[in-house]
Amino acid sequence: MPKYIAKRVLVTIPVLLGIVLLIFFMLQVVPGDPVTVMMKEHLKEDVVQNLRQTMHLDDPFFIRYLRYVWDLLQGDLGMSWKLNRPVTNLIAQAFPYTCRLAIAAALFSWILGIPVGMISAVKKNTLIDHLSMGVSLFGVSMPVFWVALILQNAFKNVLPVSGVKSWQSYILPTIVLGWSSAGRIARLTRSNLLEVLREDYIRTARSKGLSPLRVITGHAMKNALIPVITVMAIQLSSLLSGAVITESVFAMPGVGSLAVTAINNRDMPLLQGTVIFTALLIIAGNLVADILYSLIDPRIRVE
Amino acid sequence: MNNILEIRDLIVSFASDGRKERAVAVNGVSLSVPKGGIVGLVGESGCGKSVTSLSVMGLLADNGRVDSGEILLDGEDLLKLSDRQRRDIRGNRISMIFQEPMTSLNPVLTIGHQVTEAIRRHSDMDKAAARARAIEMLDKVGIPEPEKRMGNFPHQLSGGMRQRVMIGMGMAMAPELLIADEPTTALDVSIEAQILRLMRDLQRAGGTSILMITHNLGVVAELCDEVYVMYAGEVVEHADVYTLFRECAHPYTRGLMASLPRMTPKGKRLYNIPGTVPNLRAMPQGCRFAPRCEYATEHCHSEKPALKDIGGGHLCRCFRG
Repeated sequence: MPKYIAKRVLVTIPVLLGIVLLIFFMLQVVPGDPVTVMMKEHLKEDVVQNLRQTMHLDDPFFIRYLRYVWDLLQGDLGMSWKLNRPVTNLIAQAFPYTCRLAIAAALFSWILGIPVGMISAVKKNTLIDHLSMGVSLFGVSMPVFWVALILQNAFKNVLPVSGVKSWQSYILPTIVLGWSSAGRIARLTRSNLLEVLREDYIRTARSKGLSPLRVITGHAMKNALIPVITVMAIQLSSLLSGAVITESVFAMPGVGSLAVTAINNRDMPLLQGTVIFTALLIIAGNLVADILYSLIDPRIRVE
Repeated sequence: MNNILEIRDLIVSFASDGRKERAVAVNGVSLSVPKGGIVGLVGESGCGKSVTSLSVMGLLADNGRVDSGEILLDGEDLLKLSDRQRRDIRGNRISMIFQEPMTSLNPVLTIGHQVTEAIRRHSDMDKAAARARAIEMLDKVGIPEPEKRMGNFPHQLSGGMRQRVMIGMGMAMAPELLIADEPTTALDVSIEAQILRLMRDLQRAGGTSILMITHNLGVVAELCDEVYVMYAGEVVEHADVYTLFRECAHPYTRGLMASLPRMTPKGKRLYNIPGTVPNLRAMPQGCRFAPRCEYATEHCHSEKPALKDIGGGHLCRCFRG
C-alpha cells in the first residue's frame, strides 16, 4: 500500500511541471506589456528599461520558465504587479475564506446528496424519487450566479449577503455552492445504488434474512459509494481552489475573488499564482481520490 | 408431516413495462421435498425453476408476484407470513446458494464478515462465538486455512472456493431446507464433483433436505432421490430418479435424455429438441410441448393434458401415458 501511494505521488511530478509550463506559456503570449500595466503610459524610457531588467523580462522564455519553477519550488510565486505584494502571501491570506466556504459547501452537499440519492434509489419511480431528482436537476442546471442573486434577494433581511463579517456570512454562499454539488452527488448516488441493487451479492445478502435497511447500508452503499467518493474528492479540491462566481457575487475575499482581481488588473504573476494553486489542488484531489478508491475497493489494491 | 417443503398449485407472474397482462412464469406447480431427501428440479433456462425457488425464499424481483398457491415449510404456509417473519426464516430455516459464485459474494467485504453476519443475524452469539462458528463452517466445507481465509476478500478466492464459502454460509445455521440453484454450472467439472460430494456429505450429516435446481441430468443422477421435470412453467413429469432414468415417459424428458452427449459413433449428430421454449405471453393452447413434440397429434394441440399418475407415483403430463 505505501508503495502504491509513493508511486502515485511520483507520477504527479511530471504532470505538475507540464501544467506549470503550459500556464506560464499561455500567460506569456497574452498581449500587454507588464511595465505598461504597472506604470500606465506616462513614464520615462530609462525607468522602463531599468524595470524590464530587474524583472528579467528580456531574458529568453525558457530561462524565465526555469527561474519561475525554481522560485516556485521554494514557495515563491513572484510579486503581484498591481498590489506589489508577494503572490504567495496574497493566496495565503485569501485561502482561509475559500477553505471554510469549500468545506462547508462540500459537507452540505454530502450530507444532503448521499441520503437523498439513497432514498431516491430505494423509492425508485415514486413521488419522492421524482421530487428529489427534480430538485437535484435544478441544482445542477441552474447557473450559480442566478441562484446566488435570488437567494440574496430572498434573504437580504435575515442573513448577510455581502462580505464576511461572521459565520452567518457563509450560509448563503454555502447553500449556493453546495446545492449544485449536492444535486450531482444525489444523482450519482442514485444511479450507482440502482445498479448495485441488481447485483447477485445483494440477493445473497437478502437470502441471509437481513432487513432491507441492513442490505442497503451494510452491503449496497459501500459498493455504490466507490465512484461517488472519487467525485467527492475531486469536487472538494475544485471547491478549495476557489469558487470564482460565488465569491464574487457574495464579495468574499477568497482565492476566486483574487483571481478575478488579477484578471481585471492584468496582474500576470497573481493570475499565474492562483491558476497554479488551483491546478495543484486539483492534482492533489485526484491523488486523494485514487488512494481512497484503493482503500475502499480491495480489488484495486496492488498486491 | 413427512415433507419439509410442499408447494401447492403455485402461480407466479411478472409485470413488464407497458403491458397490461402479466407474464405467468410459473403456472400451477406442485412439488414436495421429503424430510432428509434430495429433490431435483430440472428444465431448460426460462422454464420457471429458478422463479419457483425464489418464491420459496421470498426473493422474487420487484415486478414478480405469487398470484396463488401455497408454500408450506413443515406445514406452515410461508405466503401467509409477514415480511419480517419470512426474513427470520431466510438464512435460518431455509438457505439458498446460487449459480454464480463469482458474483454472489460482496466484493468489498471480507469472507469472514459475510459468513459471520449470516450467523449473527439468526443467533444471539457474540462476535467471537460467531467468528469461531464461521471458521468451523469454512473448515467443514473444505477450505484450507479457514482462519486466514476469514480475512480474505472474494476476489482472492477461486470459483470453487467461493462456492464452498456460499455453502458454508448457507449451512451455518443448519437449515431444514437448502435450495441450490445450479450451484455447479459455473464451475469446472472436477470442482463440480467435489461440490456435489460436499453437499451430499453435509446433507447426510446434518439432516438438511435439498432442493437441487439444475439443467444437468448428470447432477440429478449423481445426487437426487427424486426428480421433477419442468417445462414452460409447469411440471411435466415426476418420478424417483431410478424410474426416471430407466423409463421416462414424457417426450420432453426423453428429449433431454437424448440430448446428453455420449459415446455415439463418429459422424452421428448429437440429438437436440427441435424448436425453442414458447414465449410466456404466447403459450400454445393445448399441450405446451406440442409444437416441439414429434408425437404430437391433433388432440395435443387443442386440449391440455393433465398431470396423471402412470403407476407407482410416477406422474406424467402427456396423453400417451
